[in-house]
Amino acid sequence: MPLMESLAQLGRIGLGIFERLGRGHLLLAHILAGLGPLAVRPRLLIIQIHSVGVLSLLIITVSGLFVGMVLALQGHYTLSQFGAEDSLGIMVAAALVRELGPVVTALLFAGRAGSALTAEIGLMKATEQLSGLEMMAVDPVKRVLTPRFLAGLISMPLLAAIFSMVGVLGGHFVGIGLLGVDEGAYWSQMQAKIDLHEDIYNGVIKSLVFGFVCTWIALFQGYDATPTSEGVSRATTRTVVHSALAVLGLDFVLTALMFGD
Amino acid sequence: MRRFNGRRFFACTPSKPVDDCKTGTETIRAMPHSANSNEPLVKIRGLRFFRGDRPIFDGVDIDIPRGSITAIMGPSGTGKTTLLKLIGGQLRPQAGTIHVDGQDVHRLALRDLYKLRMRMGMLFQSGALLTDINVYENVAYPLREHTRLPQSMIRKLVLMKLEAVGLRGARDLMPAELSGGMARRVALARAIALDPMMIMYDEPFTGQDPISMGVLAQLIRRLNSASSLTSMVVSHDVHETAEIADITYVIANGEVVASGPSKEVLNSDCPWVRQFMRGEADGPVPLHFPTKRSLEEDILGEAHRKTGTCR
Ligand SMILES: Nc1ncnc2c1ncn2[C@@H]1O[C@H](COP(=O)(O)OP(=O)(O)OP(=O)(O)O)[C@@H](O)[C@H]1O
Ligand SMILES: [Mg+2]
Repeated sequence: MPLMESLAQLGRIGLGIFERLGRGHLLLAHILAGLGPLAVRPRLLIIQIHSVGVLSLLIITVSGLFVGMVLALQGHYTLSQFGAEDSLGIMVAAALVRELGPVVTALLFAGRAGSALTAEIGLMKATEQLSGLEMMAVDPVKRVLTPRFLAGLISMPLLAAIFSMVGVLGGHFVGIGLLGVDEGAYWSQMQAKIDLHEDIYNGVIKSLVFGFVCTWIALFQGYDATPTSEGVSRATTRTVVHSALAVLGLDFVLTALMFGD
Repeated sequence: MRRFNGRRFFACTPSKPVDDCKTGTETIRAMPHSANSNEPLVKIRGLRFFRGDRPIFDGVDIDIPRGSITAIMGPSGTGKTTLLKLIGGQLRPQAGTIHVDGQDVHRLALRDLYKLRMRMGMLFQSGALLTDINVYENVAYPLREHTRLPQSMIRKLVLMKLEAVGLRGARDLMPAELSGGMARRVALARAIALDPMMIMYDEPFTGQDPISMGVLAQLIRRLNSASSLTSMVVSHDVHETAEIADITYVIANGEVVASGPSKEVLNSDCPWVRQFMRGEADGPVPLHFPTKRSLEEDILGEAHRKTGTCR
């Protein structure tokens, strides 16, 4: 009966996936229910914005700088074949604001902040700190997870904006400094062609969605982790993998919805 | 029903402990501490709890009288920690009820459960201190969460609680800088911060040197008599615990195998208890986790079984 066996196996895996999805949504509802009480304790949020957002600044700015510089190099090569070097500014800015800013920031965020969140929550569970809070009549989801969730949601668009900004500067540095593109053209083309709604707002929406999904995945994986060192390590890996897949998949969907007409 | 020492108020039977339990606790209820109500503070009836297919509890009845210190003893892995988590409402039994102060823990709305937990202190086996804040903040945590006391008042309370466990000098240390025994004592200070009506101690004596062990035992005793506190002490330290406990329950194989006033249980001839108290490997309480195959079979595999049957 190998066929029946494998069918049953398939069914079990499917059920497992749906069960996890269900638990994930229940947790999300629980996290969101904690937003009200959080309003009276802004300190909790500020601490988390520091550890989730501010501490991610270094990797975000450095990566933004290099991505901008590479974009300028590659873009210049292609554009110069059509004699359109002057459009380098718009090319760099559009690529960053629409696409690379939100996506690369989200991927870096998952690796830097998401994995840290999962490990932290998972270890708090493994060392019974979450149980301890429960027995102190403190809801660990509202007290521990909600501030982290909101911090991720707030930090992601800001980080993506900083990424894009630094990227534009990096492109400027390479394009004008090394490749001799006209500085006036670089800025004025960018100013003229980048649209507030079409480009900037859509980019912000993307990074809000990514922030939501990445933080949610990270918190769920930590909260749902098997409370052992191995369980936490596997949960951390899952956070990075699932976040990356979710971001890239959602990016396609969002881009198709926003820009594909 | 087996009876080993003929005393009426002492129960020692693995199969049907209920009837004898009643007579056992009747004497305790008349104790000087017992407060306003005659109902036991914690009343467990017909508790059944399974981990997968393995029964951890299979029909357990326990009464924790108000104002008493009750010890729960039993071999490692019998489910003592599980019992405390069931009482705290963190785990849900498959059958049976647990009433704490007249309220059915597993039928309460979440809000009421949290209210009830505010009046229950629990000392975790691992301490369960929050690792990102220091000792002082850990003890202050429940006070900050549940009261609106001014800072100066919180400071006084925290220092008093830390003094009680002998760790006032360690207030600025982080949990990672504490030894296991110290962490447990900080956790105790935190558990008593809100002056709860009952405290559940999970292995308070493990990892303590004789001095702090004595101090802890005294502290548990003192806390209990000072306020009308009810305590449950889960422990392996038979003599240290029997010293301070009014009543002792011995759990093994998912059942209450002995219960009654501590002295009686400690001195009983009941083989379950005697084995446990004296630490004998042979006896009715198995050292080994349940398994279906014998050691020979496991080690020598099928070959053994075949030659075995041949002979
Ligand atoms: N999360 C879990 N999943 C499955 N089984 C568990 C889990 N936690 C505990 N168990 C099982 O439940 C049984 C009781 O565990 P528990 O921690 O309550 O024992 P204990 O009496 O406190 O032991 P100890 O004295 O060593 O602390 C153990 O045999 C263990 O195998
Ligand atoms: Mg235990």
